[in-house]
Amino acid sequence: MVLLSNSFREPMLEMYKFETNQLLEQMEQVVINSEKSNCCSQEAINEIFRIMHTIKGSSAMMLFNGISTLAHSIEDLFFYLREYKPENVDYMKLSDLVLSCTDFIKEELSKIERGVEPDGNPDESVNIIKAYLTELKGDGGGNAIQENTDEKKDEGKKQKYFITRSLSDNSEKTLYKAVIYFEEGCEMENIRAFTVMHSLKNIAQDIMCEPEDVIENEESTRFIRENGFKMQFYSDKTYEEIENILNETIFLKKLELEVVDNNDTANVNKKKPVIDLESDRSITPEAVRTEKEKEKEQANKTLLHNFISVNVNKLDKLMDLVGELVISEAMVTSNPDLKGLSLDNFNKAASQLKKITGELQDIVMSIRMVPLSATFQKMHRIVRDMCKKLDKDVELEILGETTEVDKNIIENISDPLMHLIRNSLDHGIETKEERIKNGKSQKGKITLEARNEGGEVIIIVKDDGRGLNKEKILQKALDHGLIQDINREIPDREIFSMIFLPGFSTKENVTEFSGRGVGMDVVSNNIEKIGGVVNVDSIAGEGTTMTIRIPLTLAIIDGMNIRVSNSTYTIPITSIKESFRAKEEDLITDPDGNEMIMVRGDCYPIIRIHKLFNIKDSITNISEGITIMVESEMNTVCLFADELLGEQQVVVKALPQYIKKVKGIAGCTLLGEGTISLILDIAALVKMK
Amino acid sequence: MASVLIVDDAAFMRTSLKLMLEKNGFTVVGEADNGAAAIQKYMELNPNIVTMDITMPVLDGIEATKKIKEVDPQAKVVIVSAMGQESYVRDAVVAGAKNFIVKPFKEEHVLKVLNSL
Repeated sequence: MVLLSNSFREPMLEMYKFETNQLLEQMEQVVINSEKSNCCSQEAINEIFRIMHTIKGSSAMMLFNGISTLAHSIEDLFFYLREYKPENVDYMKLSDLVLSCTDFIKEELSKIERGVEPDGNPDESVNIIKAYLTELKGDGGGNAIQENTDEKKDEGKKQKYFITRSLSDNSEKTLYKAVIYFEEGCEMENIRAFTVMHSLKNIAQDIMCEPEDVIENEESTRFIRENGFKMQFYSDKTYEEIENILNETIFLKKLELEVVDNNDTANVNKKKPVIDLESDRSITPEAVRTEKEKEKEQANKTLLHNFISVNVNKLDKLMDLVGELVISEAMVTSNPDLKGLSLDNFNKAASQLKKITGELQDIVMSIRMVPLSATFQKMHRIVRDMCKKLDKDVELEILGETTEVDKNIIENISDPLMHLIRNSLDHGIETKEERIKNGKSQKGKITLEARNEGGEVIIIVKDDGRGLNKEKILQKALDHGLIQDINREIPDREIFSMIFLPGFSTKENVTEFSGRGVGMDVVSNNIEKIGGVVNVDSIAGEGTTMTIRIPLTLAIIDGMNIRVSNSTYTIPITSIKESFRAKEEDLITDPDGNEMIMVRGDCYPIIRIHKLFNIKDSITNISEGITIMVESEMNTVCLFADELLGEQQVVVKALPQYIKKVKGIAGCTLLGEGTISLILDIAALVKMK
Repeated sequence: MASVLIVDDAAFMRTSLKLMLEKNGFTVVGEADNGAAAIQKYMELNPNIVTMDITMPVLDGIEATKKIKEVDPQAKVVIVSAMGQESYVRDAVVAGAKNFIVKPFKEEHVLKVLNSL
C-alpha cells in the first residue's frame, strides 16, 4: 500500500528526520532527568507518550514500519503507566528500555540518512516491551487495575442501557430500520457508525443498533465490516429526509433503509440497548480541572512566543546579502568620486545608513545564533551510559548552556565535545576505589562550561580526575617519533598539546569508548575547521581542563588588507601581533635557505607571500616592504608583504567548489572597490614552518 | 476553495497535510501546534475547516474542539487521529467534530472527508 507518492516523500524526508531526531533528543533528556530523581512524573510520562505517538504517526506516513511498530509499543507502555499509575515500576529498567528503543530508532534514522532502507527488525525490542507491560499488569498493582477495569465495565454498562430520549408515546413516529455498509479500507468503522448515530441524535429517538457497543468492543469493527451497521430508531421525519441524512455519511458504500411496521416494535422495545450520545465521558475531578487551568495559563504564556521555522539556505542567503550590503555601503560612502567635495548632508545621511546596516548585520547574525543547550544536554546520555559500563560514579555539571553560537559552530562542536567528555570519563576520572584511596570523594565530576569572552566563545571541559602524566606523554611522543629532541626544555602546555598529534594514545588498554588513538587529533582538526583552537591544562592528581576557543561568528571578520604586487590579501586582525619595517641586518638565513628574523632577541621564521603564491613584480627587499607578525596557537611567524592597505570588516566567503583547496587560503572576500581579496589561513601558514 | 487551519503538534504531520491540501486547491491559512494556539488562530483567521490532532501538549484536541465549538457553533472541525484512539475520536465527535481522518492518511480519504463538509 503506497500512501505517498515519491514526489511527496522526498521533500518530507528531511523534515521527518529533523523532527524525529529532535523528539528523540527531547525524550532522552526527559528519561535521564527522571532517572536521576528515580521517579517518573506524570508530566514526563505524558511527554514520552506524546513523543512516541508522534513518531509512530509520522513513521507510518513515511512507511518506516519498523520504527512505527516500536514507537507504538512504547506508546502502549506509557499509556498504561499514564492511565493506571502502577506502583511497581523499576525506573532503571524502564529508562534502559526506553533508551535502547531510542537507540534503535536512531540507528534506523542514520540508515535513512545514508540512503539505506531502514530494515532493522524491532520485534525483539517490541517483545521485551510487551513482556514488561504484561509484567506490570500482572503483579503489584494488580488489585488497583482490577478495580479500575471493573469501574470501566460499570461505566460501559451504564452507557449501554442508558436511555437518552425515550418518548412516552411513539405512536406518531415512524420506526425505521437501516443497514449501513462502509467502503473497504476506510478504517475505524465503529467510530464512523457512532458518528452516524450522533448525526441522528436530534431527529431520532430510542436508537438501537447492532453491534450494541460500537466503541467498547473491538469486535464491533469486524462485525460492521462483515455485516454492515444495523440501526433501528423512531423519527417523525419522512423516509426521504432520513435517507438524505444517512446518504451524507462519508465512505458510505451502501445504505438499506426501510420503514418497520409498528406492530413489530413491541418485542424490540423490551431490550433497549441505547447508546448514550450525550455523555461526555471525560470525567474531570476538581483537582484535574485546576491542573487544566494551570495548563491554560501555560498555554497563554507559550502563545507569547511566536516561532517560525525558516529554511537554513534562505538564512544563509540573507547573510550573504547583508554582507554584500556592508560592502556596497563602503563602496558608496568611500567612493573616490567624492574626494575633495564638501558633503555635510551626504555625510549625515551616510552615517545614518551605516548605523542601519550595522544594526541589520547584528540582527541577521543573531538569527543564526543557537544556544548550546541541546548539544550540552546530549552529553548527559554519554556520561550515563559510560558510567554504567565502566562502573564509575560521575556527575556532569553544565554551566552557561544558554550561550549562543553560530549554527555552523553547533554542527561542528558536538563530535569533538563528545570525544573530550568520553576521554575525561575513560582516562581522566579514576575508578571508585582509586578515588577513595587518593582521598577524593567517590563521585567524580566533569564540568562542561560555555561563556562569551570578547569576540570568542569559550567552551571548557574540566574533570577532577588523575590529570595528564607528563613523563608518559613525552616518552610516548618519543617512541612514536613525534618529537626528536627530549633534551631541550619543553613547556608543560606544549607537552600536553602533544595528545592532539595524530596517532597518539597513552592508554595501553583500548576501551570501547575511547583510546584508539585516532580521537584527539580528530578533535583538534574539527575545532580548527571552525576557526577554533583547543588548549590543555592539567595538574597531576587534580584534574585536566580542556579549553576550546572559537570565534563567535565566522561570517564577518575584522581584517587587515595587505598588498603584494597587484594582489590583495586579508589577514584576520585577531591573529596579527604587530607589523614593522624590518632591517636587513636582522635577517638570518640558515643553510637550507630558510629566512628568519630577529625581533627583540627572539627568532621568527619569515614567510614571503610573493614566494608562497608565486607573485611577480613585488618588492623583494625586506627593508622596503612590510613585515607582519602573526600568531596562531602560541606559534608565531612573520609574513612579508609590499604594504598595508588598511583595516576593514570583510565578509568571509568560501572559495568556490571549482577551485581546489589552496594551502594557506581560508576563503575570499569582496572589497569596497569591487576587487577580490584572498583571506590568509594563518593557522595553516604557521604550520608550514 | 475552502480555507483550512491545520492543528498538529508534529511539524511533519502539518506539512504532509498542507502539501496534500494545497495540491488539491485548498488554502491552508494557518497552522497551530497545540490546542490553545488553535483556538486563538481560529478566532484570528476564521477558517472554513479545522483539522485537529488529538494528542497535543498544553491543550488536547478534544478540549480545543469544544472551545472552538463554543466560540463558533458552526465551526467545522475534522479530527486527525491515529489507529487505536477510537474512544478519543468518539469524545471528539461528541464535542462537536464533524468527522475524522485516520493516520496514516491517504490522500483520497482526506479529500473525501474535507470535500463532504
